[in-house]
Amino acid sequence: MTTLRPFTCDDMFKFNNVNLDPLTETYGLAFYMQYLAHWPEYFQVAESPSGEIMGYIMGKAEGQRENWHGHVTALTVSPDYRRLGLAGLLMNFLEDVSEDKKAYFVDLFVRVSNKVAINMYTNLGYIVYRTVLEYYSGDPDEDAYDMRKALSRDVDKKSMIPLLHPARPEDVD
Amino acid sequence: MAQHVHDSLIYDRRLRPIYELLELGNNKKALQEAEKLLKKMPVLPCGRALKALALLRLGREEESNTLLKALAEEKPSDEATLQVLSFCYKETEQLEKICELYKEALKKSPGNDELLAHLFMSYVRLDDFKSQQTVALQLYRQVRGNPYYFWAVNSVVLQGLRGPESSVPAKRSLFLALAQRMVEEFISQEKIKDEQEVQLYLSILMEQGKFKEALDFLGGTLCQKVYPGAHKSLKIDLFKKLNMWNELNSYLKMNLRSERDRWDYYKDYLTSCFELAKLNDTTEENENNILDNCHEFLCQLIEGGKRVRGPYLARLELHKRMRENNMNAKELLGDFADLIIEYFRFFGDKQCCTNDIALFLESISRDERITVASKLVRDSGISSTTLPQNKEQMQKHICSLQLSRMCGSNIGLSQEHLLALYTALRLHYEHGLSAFGQNLLSTDMGPSDPYSLLATHIMYDVAAEEGKSYHLIEAICLLYYVLQNSPSNFHAKLLLLKIYHFLGCGVGAHQIYESLDIKHIQLESMGYLHCALLPATGLVSVAKSVYDVTLSFFTTSYKERLEYIAMAYKYGSFSKIEEFMDFRDRLSNSLHYASTSAEQLLLELVCLSGALWQNLNTYKMMSIHPAEDRIKWNELADNRDLSVVVRWDPIDLIDHNEKQNSFDQDIECLQIRSHLLRLVASFIDALNSHDKIQAENSNEGNRNTEVLESLKTSWNEIFKRIRSKNFTKSSNKFLVNLLPSRLHAMLDMPYETFFSDVAEFLIDLSINFQLTDDRVAQLNGNVSKVQTILCDSVRENNDQEDNIWNRREIQQRIVSAVEILSLYAFVLSVCHQKYATTPVQAKKSKKKEGVQKTASENLSQRIIGLMRHLKQELQICDNELVLWKQPKFHTSLAECMSGMSLNPQVESSVTTKVSDIFKENHLQTIKDLRNIIKDKIRMVNK
Ligand SMILES: CC(C)(COP(=O)(O)OP(=O)(O)OC[C@H]1O[C@@H](n2cnc3c(N)ncnc32)[C@H](O)[C@@H]1OP(=O)(O)O)[C@@H](O)C(=O)NCCC(=O)NCCS
Repeated sequence: MTTLRPFTCDDMFKFNNVNLDPLTETYGLAFYMQYLAHWPEYFQVAESPSGEIMGYIMGKAEGQRENWHGHVTALTVSPDYRRLGLAGLLMNFLEDVSEDKKAYFVDLFVRVSNKVAINMYTNLGYIVYRTVLEYYSGDPDEDAYDMRKALSRDVDKKSMIPLLHPARPEDVD
Repeated sequence: MAQHVHDSLIYDRRLRPIYELLELGNNKKALQEAEKLLKKMPVLPCGRALKALALLRLGREEESNTLLKALAEEKPSDEATLQVLSFCYKETEQLEKICELYKEALKKSPGNDELLAHLFMSYVRLDDFKSQQTVALQLYRQVRGNPYYFWAVNSVVLQGLRGPESSVPAKRSLFLALAQRMVEEFISQEKIKDEQEVQLYLSILMEQGKFKEALDFLGGTLCQKVYPGAHKSLKIDLFKKLNMWNELNSYLKMNLRSERDRWDYYKDYLTSCFELAKLNDTTEENENNILDNCHEFLCQLIEGGKRVRGPYLARLELHKRMRENNMNAKELLGDFADLIIEYFRFFGDKQCCTNDIALFLESISRDERITVASKLVRDSGISSTTLPQNKEQMQKHICSLQLSRMCGSNIGLSQEHLLALYTALRLHYEHGLSAFGQNLLSTDMGPSDPYSLLATHIMYDVAAEEGKSYHLIEAICLLYYVLQNSPSNFHAKLLLLKIYHFLGCGVGAHQIYESLDIKHIQLESMGYLHCALLPATGLVSVAKSVYDVTLSFFTTSYKERLEYIAMAYKYGSFSKIEEFMDFRDRLSNSLHYASTSAEQLLLELVCLSGALWQNLNTYKMMSIHPAEDRIKWNELADNRDLSVVVRWDPIDLIDHNEKQNSFDQDIECLQIRSHLLRLVASFIDALNSHDKIQAENSNEGNRNTEVLESLKTSWNEIFKRIRSKNFTKSSNKFLVNLLPSRLHAMLDMPYETFFSDVAEFLIDLSINFQLTDDRVAQLNGNVSKVQTILCDSVRENNDQEDNIWNRREIQQRIVSAVEILSLYAFVLSVCHQKYATTPVQAKKSKKKEGVQKTASENLSQRIIGLMRHLKQELQICDNELVLWKQPKFHTSLAECMSGMSLNPQVESSVTTKVSDIFKENHLQTIKDLRNIIKDKIRMVNK
């Protein structure tokens, strides 16, 4: 049971229940502000009937020509509201926005260890496009999957032909 | 061209390294490099600008300023120099100067669009909407790009909404009408291209209440083309504003059929039904008809596919609203309790079920709630003799228990009963852990963890009722046990943090805090859970490090605040501009920011320990400026996230004013704290400026004494005003309640008289050069009184059977006592240097010299006397702190843990860990406080 609305600055004061999750990163203020300033339509929050933040998605559109695509920068749902289809709802929203912008595909990075998320993206029609080595810094560094799903403009689903060789972080973005 | 090549060569080879050094924060090296470069090219403006920036960042403001001034007078016009100068002005908050800079540069190259864009942004930083408009139009004429035109439109809108004339309704309308016309001109020329431009137009219409126009526009071809994803919410909003209930009704029905889980749609859908019923209220029949249809529709949605919560919740909402409107809900929808039970049967295995049902509890009476609660527990199928058979049943049980606490079922139970409940919950936790909680990832929460969280709340209730710490410590052990099994359960960590601070155990709190990895904006919204409580713990190094991290977030954000709005213009995100402005203000005026800044400075003063000249240097670096009150008291913002700590407390006992009350009291506390800081600073300034009193009427000396006098007056007034408000301490009825504001400690401890008397002493000294016997007695008496409070507090704690339960308050008194004496010690040490080491040279008349000399010797002796007295009393405090007894743990703690049926190893490791933390906290507190005292003893050792 959801209210979907654009994320606003003030939401940052109350997204703790979502962000304290260990797989959810809290970024520096400037990072959120940049997304809000540049791609406000791509930053949406799902609110519970009592006004609590249940989850949010943050993304952007980027790339040239056939690489013009939507990107999921962060997707997270509070532990209290998981398995209700919220992540699916938010992903749908981002895909719709990307369709409106006539993007070719949507992509995202996910930790190779994040089974739940990988499974979810797969169920939503995403495939592993390639592996990005040591994309997440930490102890130890962790690889990422670059996952993709073609949108209607990519009729032949060219964007979804997986690459066989892993990439280095400096080669992506 | 040749010139250009030359420039870029210089840039690459010479300037870039300096930029890079500055970026890395290596300001010293940057300065050296800049100076080297300037030896070769002494006039190079950019080189000098970089030097000014390096100087500034090294804290050499005066030199930097001189350089900046000279540069500005030369009216530079190259991009690079202007950029660096802008940096300097931003860092020194001289934002108007940036406008001047670019205005001058534009005189040299009129119409230069890059310069114009910079000039525009420099007005954005100042909220100077009118000048923004002018520059944006200039830009538009120059470049002819849509964005600039809309910069101008938006600047006009802002003049209407937030400009100096926005409060005059006629002016407001004028601006908005102008903005509308500006956009319409573009529309008629078919120049609109962007979604944000359309949004801006819509918002201009909405601001003027032109909802019909907005709706028409929304349905028009232009909007469809440019803004296909136009928010449905906007349309819904407009239907509501225009009372178009029929249209709203069918629009939402259409949308709900495809999105059956949208709460926002249901809410408005129900509103539309009730409005329609009201409209056609000629016959009751009709009214019923509409609600019948509504019910019918919800039932269709319920049956229309995969089971989702939406339509069920909507039905509960319908029931609730009908009752609110005195309609017969029961007849149409049946018994409310039955509906809730039905909901619970379908969704009780989801964690969110508790929150869902909680939405409706307030709409029924307390008795009904109790009935619902017991029905829910029964329905979960778990009794005192059965255990959940699967994860789903367990979650249902958890949900029913959480809800029954919210309904008030735990209230009024006997202690034995509550303890039995606690034991049951603990066992359920264990059972759930072994049955359904194996093989979890370290990032998962355990499925049975909520039992333990609930158990913790119950143990707090028991402890609070008894006024004893024993059961609360048991809860700490339980939570640690939970964390061993699910190390990332942040709910458990937050509860631990609350308990530790409640019991005055800063060391335990800090360990937990670190494991939460709180950063960036969370430092603001969750700072109240730890940072703001540190002043009362006496843990100096912990406090310092947390203040540093917190303030570095705030200062960075404060600097960056200038860029966000500019960024929104850059990307044409007009819908965000006002939001960014509000956010900027909320963050800049954060109460937590202001308090932490004050606490950091006070702590630094309290901890001064070096030679006098060093201390005075440190003091000078703090640049306190007592004459200025930098806090915007009427704009302070409360950005705390109180909902982050889980609770299921009885809804009728929750104090909804808690946040506001604590905010009000914390503001008053800050009044006192920041005034204390300024008062002490005024003491130091007054004493320091006597240095320069060669002639009796030194201006600075007079001014400083005046500042001191006026601060002294306002100090007393503040206390009088606050005391007259009779604030009550928050109750701490439940674990999640905020601790009482420190305001009460400030009022209970003798801060007011102590510092007011010191102020009088210094005023007297600076005006009459005298220190009377009465004054000496008064000051010494105050010191002794503080010493007595400290010693009595230690003894009180030592004598307590349970020396943990009240420790926080006692500790807070002790810390305050140390603070008062330490600040006084610093003031005396400065005073001593002025009056006791060099003879007072106020009157140079030869005749009187003899008299003067004895007078000054006399004065000097008296000041030394004050110091000796303080030293004695500090010594007594120090001795007493040594005698402060360790926290006593109930012998049966280990027993209770083994009762937890944990394996013995876990049990002993947890209990040892907890008692070790309390011990460490005790030792660390004493150590930190004694260090401060010893430094002060040295400081006044004469
Ligand atoms: C990953 C995450 C966003 C999923 O959110 P969610 O709202 O629970 O996901 P949904 O309910 O929309 O799930 C969609 C589908 O994904 C799959 N899925 C989701 N969670 C799953 C789990 N724990 N186990 C197995 N499958 C799961 C299911 O197929 C599910 O469909 P179903 O419920 O109809 O079977 C959430 O777990 C989360 O916030 N994790 C932490 C942050 C994170 O990892 N973000 C992703 C970083 S790229």
